This record gives sequence, C-alpha cells and structure tokens, in this order.
Amino acid sequence: MKLKVCWMYHDIMDLYGDRGNIMVLKKRCLDRGIDFDMQTCGIGDEVDLSTFDLVFFGGGADREQGLIIEDLKKRKENIQQALDQQTFFFLVCGGYQLFGKYYVDANGNKIEGLGFFDYETTAGLNKERCIGNIVIECEMEEECFLVVGFENHGGQTKHVQTPFGHVLAGYGNDVSSKKEGFYNGQVLGTYLHGPLLPKNPKLADIIIKKSLSKRYESPQLEALDDTLEIAANHSILKKLNISVDS
Amino acid sequence: MMRTITIILSKLSLYILSILNKGGSFPGKIALTLCPNILQKLVYHQSVILVTGTNGKTSTANMIAEACMVAGKSVAINTKGDNLRNGITTTLMKYTTFFGRIKTDIIVLEVDELTLPSIFPQLPVSSLVVTNFFRDQLDRAKEMEQLIQGIEKSIHHYEGNLLLNGNDPNVMRLAKAAPSATTYTYGMNIDMEDKVEETNEGKFCPICGSFLQYTSHYYSHVGRFHCEDCLFATPNLDISIHKIDEDTFVVGEESFTVSNPALYTMYNCLAVLLFAKVYDIPFDCVRQAFLQVKTPMGRNEKFIIQDQPWVMNLIKNPTGANEVLKQVEKAQEDNIVIFALNDNAQDGTDVSWIYDSDFERILHKQTKAIICCGQRAHDAALRMKYGGYDGELILCEKLQDAFEKGMSYHQPVYVLTTYTAMLPMRTIIRRESI
Repeated sequence: MKLKVCWMYHDIMDLYGDRGNIMVLKKRCLDRGIDFDMQTCGIGDEVDLSTFDLVFFGGGADREQGLIIEDLKKRKENIQQALDQQTFFFLVCGGYQLFGKYYVDANGNKIEGLGFFDYETTAGLNKERCIGNIVIECEMEEECFLVVGFENHGGQTKHVQTPFGHVLAGYGNDVSSKKEGFYNGQVLGTYLHGPLLPKNPKLADIIIKKSLSKRYESPQLEALDDTLEIAANHSILKKLNISVDS
Repeated sequence: MMRTITIILSKLSLYILSILNKGGSFPGKIALTLCPNILQKLVYHQSVILVTGTNGKTSTANMIAEACMVAGKSVAINTKGDNLRNGITTTLMKYTTFFGRIKTDIIVLEVDELTLPSIFPQLPVSSLVVTNFFRDQLDRAKEMEQLIQGIEKSIHHYEGNLLLNGNDPNVMRLAKAAPSATTYTYGMNIDMEDKVEETNEGKFCPICGSFLQYTSHYYSHVGRFHCEDCLFATPNLDISIHKIDEDTFVVGEESFTVSNPALYTMYNCLAVLLFAKVYDIPFDCVRQAFLQVKTPMGRNEKFIIQDQPWVMNLIKNPTGANEVLKQVEKAQEDNIVIFALNDNAQDGTDVSWIYDSDFERILHKQTKAIICCGQRAHDAALRMKYGGYDGELILCEKLQDAFEKGMSYHQPVYVLTTYTAMLPMRTIIRRESI
C-alpha cells in the first residue's frame, strides 16, 4: 500500500511544530511497510490536490494567513474536486479557519474563507487568546477516546455543527462552547497543536486508515508498540487532573 | 521624600538578602510597589545601554560590561540575566546613592524583549543594542510580529543610538521605526552558499511583504538579505567579520579569539565591537574581555565528572537549540545526551518548539543514548522517536536519576536543558564535578 500525502504551504504555515504531524504519519506508515509519498504545495505551485489520499494544512500567524489566501482561493475548485473524490483533509488552526465562511483578524481585517462549511471565526476581544494544554473527548469510527494537545489561538470559531470533540479541560473553538474543532468523517479541522499526533496514536491511525480507504478497500493497520505515546498522553491527563478512564 | 524612603527600604532588603546569601528581584519589587515610577526619579549622569533581542542578550551585555571594566570604567549591570522590570529595578537600586544618583560610569542592562516597550520610555537610553528576533516561546511572546510592533511603537521618538544586527531583517526594520535615531550596524561579510532550511521568520520583507532574497544565509533567517521590490536590505555594515578560522575571526585588520566558536557567539562579539567603536573603547580591551568574561550559566558550560567531560547548554527556542545541536553534532567521539524539558512559564508552556528544532542532527549512531527528563520528558522522548532515533532512549522522572544514568556510561555527556530545569540540574552536576 501507499499513502499519498500533500502538505500545503509547508514553508509558510508551519507555526507551533506542526511538521511533527507529518513525521508521525510517515513513521507510522513506514513501520507497517506502507509507502509514504509526500509532496508539498507552496504558493503558485501547480498541484492537483484530488490525486492525493490526504491533504495536511497547518497553522500560521495572521500575517502568513493573509499571504496565502489569494493562492488558496484559486484552488477552491480543485479542493472541491478532491473532496468529491474522497481525499481526507487534516487542517490545523489557520487551515481549519480558512475552510469556513470567514476570518476576522486581530486588527479587524476580514478574510473571506473558502466557505465549504458554515462556521466562522473572529479574533477574540481585546486580543485575548485561548492558550494552554487541552483535553477533548472524541468519538470517531465508533471509538471514544481522549485527545490531548496544546491550543494557542485568538480566533473564536462559532456555528460548528459537527465538532471534533467535547472539551474536558481547556477552551476549544471559543471560550464558552466547550466544543473543539470540526469533523464530518472526511475533513478534520482542529486548533490542537503540540503537535497533535505524537501523543494521540489512535487518532493518527484513524487519519491514516481513512485516507488509505480512498483507494484501498477496508485497509487494515497492524498494531504498533505505543507504550511511550500512551504514557505521554496520560501524562497530560494527569497534569490536568483528568482521569484516564473518563 | 518618597524616593528616599523607597531607596532606603529597597537597599535594606538588598542588604538582608546579601546576608542570607540570596539574590532575586525582591528589592526591585518593593521599590516599584512603593513608588511605581521610581526609575524616572533616579538621576542618570552616565550613558545607559540597553541590550535586547531573542538570543544572546545575556552574553552580549556581560561582554560589553567586561570591556568597559577592562577599560577602567565602573559599570552597573544585571549580570544574572534578571531582565524583567523587577530585576532591572533591583540592579539600579543596588548602584544608586540614597539621593537617587547612580554612581557608576556606565549602565548596561539586558532587557527582556517583552519588557522593553514599557521600560524604554522610563530610562534616558543612550544606546539600544538589538541582537536578533526569533520565534521564542510563542505562548508567552505572542506572535513575533506583535512583539516587534510593540518595540517599534516605543522607540518612535527615540533620538539616541541604535546598534543593530544588520543581517537580521526583523531587527533592521527598527531603524525605520525610529527616524530620529542614529543607526549603526554589525554583521557578517562572508560568502556562504549553504541553503539553510531552518525555522525561519525571514521569508518575507517586513516592510512590503514580498519574498526576501538572500545572497548569503548564516543561520536561521540571519544573512545578507535584500528585497527586490522596496530595496530594504542589509546595509553597509559599520563593523563586519570577513573571515572565520576555527575559533578566530577577523574584523578589518584585527583578529579576535573566542572560547565557544559558534556563529551566534561571534554575532554577540560583533555587537560588543560595534559598541566599542561607538564609545571609543580600545579593541585591545574588548579582546581581553572576550577571553576573561565568565560564560553565563548553561551556555556551553563545561564540567569534568569522573574524568568525563560534561557540557551543559540552555535551550529555549528553535534557533538557539539549532546552534547548540550543531555544536553537539561536531563531537568527535561517542557520547550521551541528557535532555531536560520543563514547561513552566519561564520555559514556555508550549513545548511544540522541539519539533521546530533540528534534533535530527544528533539522532545518529554516535549518540549512544538519549536520556529524557523533566516535566515533559515524554514529549522529549517522542520527539526523538519520531525523529528516527534508534539508539537507547531512556525516560527518567527525576533530574537526579537522569544525572546518575548519564554518569553510568563513562562517556562524554551533553546536557540540554530548558530554563527552569537548568539551575537544579546544574546544582546536581556541580556537586559531583571537580
């Protein structure tokens, strides 16, 4: 098997160690004998996103976000095509925000999003930011598990119909909703950095499996030794006084 | 009157702390509580030099002070890196007379880059030295752009000297923000063809937003840059290195030797040489200062334990960590690495920066074991695992255990530590070192 991955704006949207997500996806594929074929897509690059199994798009500062938006808009049709062809999208922070209706930054500038989904994002009042460790409870592929990460965002995202998880500790999409991210079975948007995947091996494997299923029928992933990953996940739960079994 | 009472009480607490053999910034805190604008009430007859930036502040400020002392001047300086408001006030309280007059010939203060905007207007600054701006503990420092904008605003009416790193576009933009200031610059003038692929804040011109071009890249986004659209570029440098040979570098006709031959050390030295040029301090004094200045704690600090060399380095952000990792990579023999990763406020509560740092440089066969400890030991270990390390990866809950484990190999040890793990780790190491 082979996983075909596209990392969008890898050279611009790379705040908060998001490249760690790619490292995890890669190693977890290679350790199972699955080829990992990754390409990057920068501003102006001619890339057909619909040919990939997985598209990853990380976070950037306001300034960077403003720089990529024109390029991103030109790709809207191609992204729709990729969605129609079952490509999985994994979006962190900025990427997540831009798939919604719009984003208003800390200076009041409104950036129109791609509008694939109904949510919208506005920078917090008085430049407030949601910063800190976070734990959410997720239900994906009929499994319920705890995901840990670190959030650092000014944007307050509202009107998310299908959140990624329920917040047990931390903020999430905004200061009050107790919901985090967006997930519809094919697109996963989240504010969780850390980077997200090293301490959440179950989530990493679900992303790999969902992506592979674009071209392979019910792909199976053999189990890996996740002792260290699970211990790391639990160490954050402990830090935030969350019981491992909750 | 209030000023005198404040000074007396603050000095009294300094005296008590000194009897107890303790330091800290408590005396400054007392002073600021009693008299919030105490800094403006002091009398300054001498030059006030501030040193700020992401990396190299402590070393640069210490070397500037040392050069002044070699030249026979008395200096007020916050040597221990106490660079926040309370620490700076503590330093000034120490050197003031009861009538609020600072006694020394010169004042050299290292100032945290987030504290600078609030402290700058309260001091009669003669020179502001800026080393570099890198991504640093983003949860604390906000995004770098906001940080620089804050500094730009505070220096808008400044009429003193700016001593800037001419190879850092994020630093050079300050020259435009302070139109009445006199700008002097330092940097490298060496051709290097290596393409640097490190976390990088210098992709775009900070003035017009176009892509920046580099004719030479020295490290991270530091290099000889220019923007083809608005012509913002590395200026003609007032002081520059045009040749490096191992631990010696050449400026004009003069050569200088440093104990830690890393590029970032040489940048710190350049800042000191530029200061010396502007303030007429003979280069011979500077040369001597480079040799005799005490390396700050945890900056390539060396120990011998049971006949084995141990080297301790503070790492706190990707750029600093990358320069340290380059040094460790150069090691000639098999070695052990101890990585102590904490996530207290001073370390940065967000540890994701370890993924922006190039640990791959040391994840090879010569690194026999990596011992991860500290509050986020698990994160540290996962970083190594996913970086592809296949040597011995060890988790230790306690720093003491990590130290003992490190000693058990009887091989050279490199200790990498974040801020709050450094002092306890150093205490453990010093207990055993000769």
